[in-house]
Parts: sequence; C-alpha cells; structure tokens
Amino acid sequence: MNDYCRQSAASQQLANCSSCSLVSPIELEKCPRCQTQLHLRKPLNLQLTMAYLITALLLYIPANLWPMMVTEKLGQVEYNTIVGGIIVLWQEGSEPIAIVVFIASVLVPIIKFIILFMLCFSVYFSGLLCPAKRLKLYRLTELIGRWSMVDIFVVAILVALIQLDHLLNVQPGSGTIAFAGVVVLTMIAAKSFDPRVLWDDFDRKCDR
Amino acid sequence: MFSEQVIACHHCDLLMAPPHVKEGECALCPRCKHKITRLHHSNINQLLSYAVTGLILLFVTTQFNLMTFNLGGNVSQIDLWQSAINMYFDDYKILAVLVLFFIFILPALILILIVAFILSIKTGIGCWAQTSMLRLTFVMMPWAMVEVFLVGILVSLVKLVTIAQMDLGWSFWAYAVFCFCYAKVLTLVDRYQFWHWIDEAHR
Repeated sequence: MNDYCRQSAASQQLANCSSCSLVSPIELEKCPRCQTQLHLRKPLNLQLTMAYLITALLLYIPANLWPMMVTEKLGQVEYNTIVGGIIVLWQEGSEPIAIVVFIASVLVPIIKFIILFMLCFSVYFSGLLCPAKRLKLYRLTELIGRWSMVDIFVVAILVALIQLDHLLNVQPGSGTIAFAGVVVLTMIAAKSFDPRVLWDDFDRKCDR
Repeated sequence: MFSEQVIACHHCDLLMAPPHVKEGECALCPRCKHKITRLHHSNINQLLSYAVTGLILLFVTTQFNLMTFNLGGNVSQIDLWQSAINMYFDDYKILAVLVLFFIFILPALILILIVAFILSIKTGIGCWAQTSMLRLTFVMMPWAMVEVFLVGILVSLVKLVTIAQMDLGWSFWAYAVFCFCYAKVLTLVDRYQFWHWIDEAHR
C-alpha cells in the first residue's frame, strides 16, 4: 500500500499537457511545447460528464421505442426496433449474431451508463471501490464504447443494398439517429471524464 | 528542446522519472498500470510503410464493390460511398455524414496526417505545421471506427445469407486488409515518441 503513496503532479502544482504529455508548472497557463491550455484536471469534468450522460439517457428512450429499420416486403410494411430486430434474428435461427447485436446495442450502452454514473458519484461519495478498480471500469467504458455503432453500420449497409422496389426494400427508421446520438454522446461523456480525480481523494489521505 | 525531467501518468497523475525502454518493451505506470510509452526507436519507417499501405488499400476500396445481393435474379451491389449516399438522399443526412466520417473520412485523414508528419520530420519541410498535425491526429483518433464497420459488414452478411445469395466483392477484402494495417499503425503510434521526434527535428 505504501508503494501507492507517491506524489501526484497536481500536488506539486505541475500540469500534464493533455496533448504532448510535457509536465510543466501550472503558472505557465499554456504548454511551452505545443501551446495547449494547461489544466491540473480537465475543467468541469464531472458536470460535463453528467450533462452528456443525462442527454444520452433521454435519447436512449426514443432510440429503443422508435424503429431502427423499416422493411417493405411485397407491399407489407414492417417496423423493427432494436430489441425487435434481435428477437427476429433469434427466431430465424441465427443465435450467435443475435447475441452479438444484443451485446453491442443493448448491453454495452447500459453498462456504460451504469459505470459512468457510478464513477461520477464515487467522486462525491468516496470509498465505493478502490481507485485502481474504478479506473479499470473507466478503461472498460473507453474500450467498449465504439462497438455500439455496429447496429448503425448494419442498417446503413442494408439500406444501401436492399432496394428492390416493392418486392423488398429497407429504409432507415427515426430510431437510428437517436441511437447514433446515444453512442456519440456517451463517447463524449467518457472523454470529458478525467480519471485522475478518482485518485485525488486517495492522494489526500496519503499526504496526511 | 524540452528535455523531460519528469513525466506524469495520464490516468492517475503519478509523477515519475522518464523510463528507459528497450526495444520490444513497454513502460507501464507503477500505480495504475496505464501504458505510458513504448519508445522503440526504429519504428519510423515501419510506421510510414503501414500508413502508406493503408492509404493505398483505402483507395482500392472505393474502386470496387463491397458486396453483391442476389435474390432470385434481382441483383444489387454496393460500394463504400453508395452506402452513405443512399441514406443522404433518403433524408438521413446526419446519419450518412456520421457513417461516412467514421468509416472512411476520419481514418483517411489520420493516415494522411501521419504520413505528412513523418515526411515532414524526415525532410525538415513544414516544421511549423508539425505541432498542429499531431494535435489534430490525436483528437481524431478515437472517432475512427474501422474495425466496428468490418464487424457490421459481417453481421449484415449473416443476416442476409438466409434470404438471398450473397457475394463479397474485392472492396471487402481490401477493407479487411486495410483494417489490419490501420490497427498496426495504431499500435505503433506513441505520443512520447512522436513529440520526441519533433524535439529532435527542432534541435
């Protein structure tokens, strides 16, 4: 445990440049090497993360209720939501693909919401988990975030490919835009969160 | 120009001395195990060759069709651009622009910037732009979704293979190999190494 107790850059009034990783005193305001604005921590990181997350959460409702794909088969029009599409895939016997889509477009966004909300709250109510474990969760959200876009790409390919007029054609539904918004906003939320704040409380205890 | 006396971890803000990394080794933060750097000094040519190969393959991808859909004699095929253009004209302009950016424009821009950066380091031309080139590259990097699109192609292929005869075109294979080159470029890109090159070039 004593191994952990070393000095953080912020405690020495040193800022790590977010662009070029040069450590310089915060008084300089701008990084001497690349002219990026210096901050000890990303400014407003918790507020911004929360704001993006709540926006994404609100968009997640229409993303699941509105159709992702509108299929016209021999004049019959069929509306498929995300979950509806997965159920159809499962019934048609392609279970592995159903599982892939389920993980990418249902499980991943929900996991991201839970982890990021938990991380934001854990800064206010410390002692939830040790910082190293919380950091692992943060890295998980960064890693899996982009994979939710799979569903959007699948819709894009199907729309472009299946255009046989009234025999069979596919149109994108309004849910696609909402879902793309959820993915992009949760990615921005993860980007605006500063993982270094997870260690601040820990560092303060070490100083005492 | 800026010799680094001390560096700090981006994930936990721990101060530490700059590591001495041998070829094939990788420095991790002692506290949070975040990958700090992987300074292998010989990789500039390797990086350049992978980036140029990636760009050529990306160009090849636009020249052929991605896949063919054959439903009882009704044949339709798509290429990379058409996927986005069709949506654009179906009033899904935001979506079309987003998809095109994620799968094509951003990866292409990133590779072009990396190639331009390395050439500028090697020749010494355009020193003034090196800093902004690097900053732009690192901002764009998380938004390129090459490998996700590849999985998207495979998922839609499996979706359709039950109802129609599907054939993969040359573009798909070019994109798959491009995906490999792009991943290789990503593993070779190292912030410390890049800024180290700039420092050496300015010296």
